[in-house]
Amino acid sequence: MTTFEHCVRCTLCVENCPVFKVNPAFPGPKQAGPDAQRFRLDGERSVDDWVKLCCQCQRCQVACPYGVNVSEIILKAQLKYSREHMSPFTAHLFANTYHLGKLGALAAPITNAVTSSGAARKVMGVLGLATNLPMPEYRFLTLNRGRRRKGKRRSSRKVVFFHGCYLGFNRPDIGRGIRDLLAGLGCRVAIPSQTCCGLPALGNSDLEIAKKFARKNARMLVEYIDRGYQVVYACTSCGLTLVHDYPEVLELPEGRKIAENTYNVHEVILDLLENDGCSVEFGEVDRTIAYHIPCHLKALGIGYPAAGVFERIPGLRTTILDDHCCGLAGSYGFKKKNQQTAEKLGTIAASAIKALEPDALISDCGACRMQLGHYTGLPALDPSEVIIASLEKGASKKSRGKRRIP
Amino acid sequence: MSAYGYDAVVIGGGVSGIMASLTLASGGFKTALVSRGDPVCCLSTGCIDVFSHSDEPLSGIRALLPDHPYSLVGEKGIKDALSFFLEIMAEAGLPYEGDPGRNRKILTPIGSTKNTCLVPRTMAHADMPPGEYLHVISFQGIKDFFPSYITSRQRNSTYSVYDAGVPTTLGIAARFDDASFLDAFITWLRGLEIPHDRVALPAVLGTIDPASVMEKISRAIGRKVFEIPTLPPSVPGLRLFRALKRVLQSRGVHLYWGKGVTSVECQGRTVEAVTLATTGRAKRVQGKAFVLATGSFVSGGLFAGRDSVRETVFDLPVAVPGERKDWFNTDFFSGAHGIERAGVRVDGSFRPVETDLDNLFACGSILAECEIMSLQCGHGLAVATGVAAAKSCAQGLS
Ligand SMILES: Cc1cc2nc3c(=O)[nH]c(=O)nc-3n(C[C@H](O)[C@H](O)[C@H](O)COP(=O)(O)OP(=O)(O)OC[C@H]3O[C@@H](n4cnc5c(N)ncnc54)[C@H](O)[C@@H]3O)c2cc1C
Ligand code: SF4
Ligand code: SF4
Ligand code: SF4
Repeated sequence: MTTFEHCVRCTLCVENCPVFKVNPAFPGPKQAGPDAQRFRLDGERSVDDWVKLCCQCQRCQVACPYGVNVSEIILKAQLKYSREHMSPFTAHLFANTYHLGKLGALAAPITNAVTSSGAARKVMGVLGLATNLPMPEYRFLTLNRGRRRKGKRRSSRKVVFFHGCYLGFNRPDIGRGIRDLLAGLGCRVAIPSQTCCGLPALGNSDLEIAKKFARKNARMLVEYIDRGYQVVYACTSCGLTLVHDYPEVLELPEGRKIAENTYNVHEVILDLLENDGCSVEFGEVDRTIAYHIPCHLKALGIGYPAAGVFERIPGLRTTILDDHCCGLAGSYGFKKKNQQTAEKLGTIAASAIKALEPDALISDCGACRMQLGHYTGLPALDPSEVIIASLEKGASKKSRGKRRIP
Repeated sequence: MSAYGYDAVVIGGGVSGIMASLTLASGGFKTALVSRGDPVCCLSTGCIDVFSHSDEPLSGIRALLPDHPYSLVGEKGIKDALSFFLEIMAEAGLPYEGDPGRNRKILTPIGSTKNTCLVPRTMAHADMPPGEYLHVISFQGIKDFFPSYITSRQRNSTYSVYDAGVPTTLGIAARFDDASFLDAFITWLRGLEIPHDRVALPAVLGTIDPASVMEKISRAIGRKVFEIPTLPPSVPGLRLFRALKRVLQSRGVHLYWGKGVTSVECQGRTVEAVTLATTGRAKRVQGKAFVLATGSFVSGGLFAGRDSVRETVFDLPVAVPGERKDWFNTDFFSGAHGIERAGVRVDGSFRPVETDLDNLFACGSILAECEIMSLQCGHGLAVATGVAAAKSCAQGLS
């Protein structure tokens, strides 16, 4: 990995920074990253409070042709800043999405009523939370309570599904769909009990909580890896946390092993179709969709595997949009100080989508779907929902033969 | 997990790699483009220099030595490639204008003019007939744009300053995407009652549809309007790159962005796969043919060590003019710096010479003998050689 010293000051990262574009208070990745890094000393207290304005989309790092770890430098500066300054209550609240989610799920009907009521919104305002977006709803039947195993026991393809919080607590229906999809394609799928990947804690500079969550997941995942399982994720932010932050930022001893054995769910599906001779019939889906690429899928550098699956669906017209950050960036956009930034970025990304006049938008990330669904008024889907719809159609077409997809 | 297989894999996402990918995809080949980072194009003026060293690009090119990459493409190939580029840009909604037979002038931020060949529509009116009057609009606090440089060099010119609320070119450009901001700007501009023939602004007229923004302003004030490219970060360079990328994706080219090729697998005379340093673990990308478009020193396609110049992906032989002392020259901008001629030498089919790899092609600024700075032929050479190398690659594939 190259460091801040390799920066040639070309400004390519700056051209790609969404926050720099709309918030004049943020000096941009070049200054916040490599430029300021030479003045950050271990013993000296940070004064760069603007460093917290970075939303960690990592677009700067993807753009840099010299491999400078721009957003990682900034993340570490954020952690340093927070270590030295008291962090407000909001940070702790979001750092604990998992506990929040668990509680929220147990009391789903109440949580939903409370987070959407007017009084609660005022309280949130006092806590430094922005209030223009509907808060995510929690489901009672979380993934942890669904079926934990599926698919042929003797399958040579074993996967352990890391679903994360959003699919676990807020959209377990999508999680179950992915489980059934993988099983239908011939995988043995395990969904062990798991905690949050730790990203929200990192995003709120709570290194200790992040590490606590990560260690717990790491132990569990390595057990599966040692038994011949591949780890799959659908939420691209969870994925990036597992493959990048576990080894590089949280420095877990198991980090490397996890990174090397973790795959995006659509990489696995493509591999099954391309190389494992898995034969399924994709039925027609007559729709025009805008595929908003989440920043963290870009940051993974694996291309856009779901788009490779979409290509096989007859009738589906997909346009890829990968130049915009949705502005929500996990819990970033829920904070009052970022509200304007999130609003502006949401509007920009939404207008790019609306210009295509699609029937729906697709994103691999629950946060993007929440934000862009709100700003476009369009149905916001996970890639798997379209793939499943197509396979169900294909299966019913040849239902006289053996049905492969449940 | 085994790799995803393509007909062609293009390495390097600059103008040459993108044009090569588009050519291959248009020929029906399943194509992947892998790139470590954003290309030089994003820092450029967005204008296509074909051969800006002289006023007539094609006649300048005719006079080049036979080993210059342009000579390998040939005049017809160059013209076809540039028309293909114009078609692509029209499709992308970022129309370009110009004619390879004759260069035109654009205005620079220091008030001088510069030769170039194809320009975005927003710079089409920059080539002013002598005697016309110019009014420049600048923005409050904008960095690296000083209208007095222009008014001191250009006779019959004056300027005014608008407060857009943000000081950066990117920030102002993002505001111009917003219709209500544009309306407020136009109202202010009309209030100035500018008597001059033309109005020029730094290149900030939006990131999405600058031609429409320009036309709207032009109609409102009844004057010709044009943009002046600024120092990086460059909005017109970014627009060009993003427009090309849009078309690329609409033609089904798969992008792998942000991670470089770190190793290659060859079997006998054939390149079989490249490995990308993706986050956490390496990813293999397989192909039947490969196009090398990793650029020169700026982008890291070439690397100059103390004693030699290296090609960084395949370790291909690099042609350097003579001994180091022959190409060493303390004045980098002298125009005839030997290092400008260093690069990968290719044959008429754009295969690197002195290697035994049959399915590898090369294009763009990585090629030997380009002399991009002194001839001023950057994007033009990238377009022409990108298309030519891809055509040759397509022939090999079918
Ligand atoms: C500051 C500047 C301004 C310029 N302005 C103009 C202008 O206004 N008009 C003009 O016509 N010309 C201009 N030029 C020249 C012109 O930009 C270039 O000559 C031309 O665009 C080069 O294109 P290319 O495709 O060969 O390479 P590049 O644009 O250099 O692209 C190479 C790509 O390869 C990638 N890459 C490198 N190594 C690897 C690897 N190992 N694995 C994967 N990917 C890799 C890089 O990240 C990069 O994206 C300018 C040049 C510079 C430096
Ligand atoms: S893109 Fe990389 S090299 Fe260029 S300014 Fe940013 S960090 Fe520095
Ligand atoms: S991570 Fe995103 S917001 Fe932060 S500096 Fe980089 S591009 Fe800007
Ligand atoms: S990144 Fe994934 S695991 Fe982490 S909070 Fe988001 S959804 Fe949950």
